[in-house]
Amino acid sequence: MNRAYARFSDNGPLQLLVGSYAILWILLAIKPVDRGDWFLENLLVFATILVVLLTYHKFQFSNLTYTLLGLFLALHAIGAHYTYAKVPAGFWLQDWFHLNRNHFDRIIHFGFGLFLFYPVYELLHRAGGVRGGWLSWLALAAIVAMSSFFEILEGFIAQIVRPDLGTAYLGTQGDIWDAQKDMIAAVVGGILAALTVAVVRRQRA
Amino acid sequence: MDQHGKILTGLGALCGVAWIIAAIHPLDRQAWILENILLIIFVVALLLTHRRLQFSKAAYVCLAAFVLLHIIGAHYTYAQMPVGLWAKEYFQLSRNHYDRLAHAAFGFLLAFPVRELLLRFSGTTRIWSYWLTLITILSVSGLFEIIEAVVAEMVAPGKGVAWLGGQGDEWDAQNDMIAAMVGTIIMMTMVAISEWRTRSR
Repeated sequence: MNRAYARFSDNGPLQLLVGSYAILWILLAIKPVDRGDWFLENLLVFATILVVLLTYHKFQFSNLTYTLLGLFLALHAIGAHYTYAKVPAGFWLQDWFHLNRNHFDRIIHFGFGLFLFYPVYELLHRAGGVRGGWLSWLALAAIVAMSSFFEILEGFIAQIVRPDLGTAYLGTQGDIWDAQKDMIAAVVGGILAALTVAVVRRQRA
Repeated sequence: MDQHGKILTGLGALCGVAWIIAAIHPLDRQAWILENILLIIFVVALLLTHRRLQFSKAAYVCLAAFVLLHIIGAHYTYAQMPVGLWAKEYFQLSRNHYDRLAHAAFGFLLAFPVRELLLRFSGTTRIWSYWLTLITILSVSGLFEIIEAVVAEMVAPGKGVAWLGGQGDEWDAQNDMIAAMVGTIIMMTMVAISEWRTRSR
């Protein structure tokens, strides 16, 4: 079989990436601000890592994709440690720009679009067979769809965990348009990534 | 005119007549105009791409059915659609759910033409086309909820989900997107079963 990508045992950069993420994750798993919230936030991480691991022998992403995934998961690990609403970096921004809330969660939604566009792009191209101009549009659609799906899940969880609080539940921090703003952040991140990919491809061509 | 052309003309005429009737004395002219902006963009896009895309007859029937549902909804501002009001009374619901039906119909009826486009032009495989259809419908549904929120803030600032579109449901955006998703999944399941039966015949 013609392997375009190195085995894990021969892939030094990937080993370094997995190792440093594991260390970061373990450090942030020690005494999170709220253990229940930390666990909830990590459910999707476990699911993602499980899927990537189980499909590794059949489909390997490029190291660029693994790096982007790692960066996103690292930011998410920080957010999960502090229940998102209490991330120190978010408080600094809140003080500097006189914001009404800690916006770290919105940064992660933006990061979701920015960091996950290329992994989706690569998957649709190499596994899905999508070609030409459709690739960028469908990858962007996938980002918006996943962001929408996440908001649906968040709605379910909020109604299960704290039905009395409704949208005032932690995730939304009292913003009635929280879902829409999260999705806008993901769209903007996705568009920036799509433009970057287009520019890089044009320069290489 | 061939059969395909006849069906297309018939569907177009049906939608045109329905639109004209619905345009006379809608319940709320401003809401009607807002609801029709997206419809007009949608129909113009279909007309302009018609020669290149050439959907199947079934796809055109789906598209026309969705347009008709929307024409009826827009006439009654969705919230006052009589059948929805009747269902609200009869089943003792919290709100008129006609708009939710339209969201489900959006997924159900548009999934078919979307998959047709993806299979014909994007180069994707049959298996992936089901996923990509779901992705496309859900992303358009998500974009629609974003636009709805922006319009709500412009038309009725500060009123939030109490505004027409939401009818006071604080999970309105999520529920609308679920409806679109469920509609798509039902249609894709039907298509998958029918293709599987045709191919195993």
